Amino acid sequence: MVVAAHPEAVKAGLSTLKKGGNAVDAAIATAFALNAAEPFASGIGGGGFMVIFLAKEKRATVINFREKAPAKANPSMYLDKENVQDIWRKSHGLAVAVPGSLAGWAYALEKYGTMKLEKVLESGIQIAERGIPVSQTFSQINKDEYEKILQNAGESSVYLHDGLPYEPGDVYRNPELAKTFKRLISHGWQDFYDGQIAQEIIEAIQRSGGIMKLEDLAQYSPIEQSPLEGIYKDYTIYTIQPPSSGGLHIIQLLNIISHWPVRDWGFNSTQYIHHLSEAFRFIFADKARFLGDPDFIEIPIEQLLSEDYASQIASRILPGHLQETYPYRTFDKNQIEKENTTHLGVIDSQGNIVSLTQSINDFFGSGIVPEGCGFLLNNEMADFSPHPDSVNSPGPYKRPVSSMGPLILFKKDLPFLVLGSPGGTRIFTSLTQIIINVIEFGMSLDEAIEAPRFFTYSSEGAAKSLFVESRIPPNILRSLEEIGHIIDVREAYDKYFGGAQGILIDRNRNILIGGADSRRDGSGAGY
Amino acid sequence: MFLMILISALSICFISGNIAESLPRFEQPVLITSAGQSADVQIGGVLAKRAGLLATLSKNATRQELKDNKTLALVIGVSMKGLGAAGLDLDQEKTRVKELLEEAQRKGIRVLCLHLGGESRRGELSDQMIQIFLPYAQMVIVVKSGNKDGLFTKICEDKNIPLLEVNRASEAQKPLKDIFTQN
Repeated sequence: MVVAAHPEAVKAGLSTLKKGGNAVDAAIATAFALNAAEPFASGIGGGGFMVIFLAKEKRATVINFREKAPAKANPSMYLDKENVQDIWRKSHGLAVAVPGSLAGWAYALEKYGTMKLEKVLESGIQIAERGIPVSQTFSQINKDEYEKILQNAGESSVYLHDGLPYEPGDVYRNPELAKTFKRLISHGWQDFYDGQIAQEIIEAIQRSGGIMKLEDLAQYSPIEQSPLEGIYKDYTIYTIQPPSSGGLHIIQLLNIISHWPVRDWGFNSTQYIHHLSEAFRFIFADKARFLGDPDFIEIPIEQLLSEDYASQIASRILPGHLQETYPYRTFDKNQIEKENTTHLGVIDSQGNIVSLTQSINDFFGSGIVPEGCGFLLNNEMADFSPHPDSVNSPGPYKRPVSSMGPLILFKKDLPFLVLGSPGGTRIFTSLTQIIINVIEFGMSLDEAIEAPRFFTYSSEGAAKSLFVESRIPPNILRSLEEIGHIIDVREAYDKYFGGAQGILIDRNRNILIGGADSRRDGSGAGY
Repeated sequence: MFLMILISALSICFISGNIAESLPRFEQPVLITSAGQSADVQIGGVLAKRAGLLATLSKNATRQELKDNKTLALVIGVSMKGLGAAGLDLDQEKTRVKELLEEAQRKGIRVLCLHLGGESRRGELSDQMIQIFLPYAQMVIVVKSGNKDGLFTKICEDKNIPLLEVNRASEAQKPLKDIFTQN
């Protein structure tokens, strides 16, 4: 079974499985296809993380292909006379970090796959050449990012239709991307890091004011790591290590929630939303205080995941009122509006699993496209704090903190749920809600994904608004306001809260159940 | 090819030929601004440029910027991301736009409302803006999918405002050229 954020990408993964590929082959084919069909959320110009479960070895492993800062990055690179320059961080050459996707996919394919690059690229090339009908989601995101695309990619870009955003039903084709994919076959994927494509990348970045050099691309390599592990009741979670905060924070939240009678409180009851919201605010304080690239700083992971720590936070959260402050140290109050990124999941007939989340950061990334190459470069440098004193400030070859959290949940040692989501800083709060919906509230996977969500955070020690989907009933919102939450009502199904994809393994019925989020164009299929 | 629905209190006319004479007239220069800070305002800017209009795009325009302009083009559509980037909340944005429209009324500057984002730019927040600000307009141009439920039609009928529907944003270019008096 394959779940992903676009039906064409799902088809690509499924056809790879049918041709005898394993879960890793299918995941990489799906990832290339997503670059062609959902170009605004991920691609070879970005980076990410994947959790792989190898059924025969009964072992999980993680491939970290997060982007890295170029050698010339420095902690104050986004300050101009002490003022943060947001444009430099988001839509400028300085916003682009060294992409890791292609190196990560190639590493996974070579070590754990069974197919050659040309095989897993087939569908991506076909989609890019043939085109796809533009969906409502694509069109809306294209319109939202129009200014950036116009400015950096230009009116003649393939990401625009005669210089204007695509309308639903238009056909989006990307022959330049197909050409790039074919070049990867003829010249090897390394061409992206030290060949002609690398030259085009560096020229595009430097033309837009960036500091990346060919040596920065050439030195990039992904990392294989052991997964981060957590326990919730009968369930074990395998997810990713920092520099992504997502996996760590999901485990922290589950640890805190285990102290509360959430099933008795009921789904999206006042007590439930209030307590989780307060937990989110504590977790955001930890994110700002401790999270950075573990190659450069010490992150007290053991302490943050300890039972004692969860117990302390749970006991500080009181029914009926908000905290006066949440312990923090640094200054991050950005990154709240992002909705970007993409997630895919695959299970093959042998029981191998891939849970992969990846991004180019903001939708349409930096908007910068290497000449004639048809792919977007990320603006992942915006995931660094612009403040030099932050544990997450930019520096040479540092990886910025992410919120991604691809995971595999095991029930009594057997895989039970494969899950992940885009959604910026809502990734780990949304995934936690979905897990609780399934485990505690007995929802089906689809119900759990579609259920109304909420989100809040803290910044500089203060509680921020509680964002809710409008399907949460008004009487619950009123009682939350009485407690002191400031309510910000969003759309009924708002992609602000992510676009989760999941696969649930129902061992009683011996079936796989796919779940895909209607907040985006999610889809799933199996055979 | 665009489809025009010209609505008055008494009649609904479908006209596909030369429509210029039956439409209200606007004068240049034109100040283009947003109501809701969505990037649709950029589409308005590009269409105005392609229509050869003397136009200034100011997403966050203030009353002072109206000074030499003879038309205010208001591109309606809420984007929380856009509001965040502009450092505004929804109430501040409503206040800004309301002040701008009141100043335009005082100065006799005509108002053209555009909704270019189609169905995806509808929703609770955009609808609030549409309901509050559409009545200030002397004419409304809307991408047809954004008026599936007839919200624009209803407001325009109630307020006797000519409404022009186009199939896609790019089709708004020609009527934009037609309704402005050439300098």
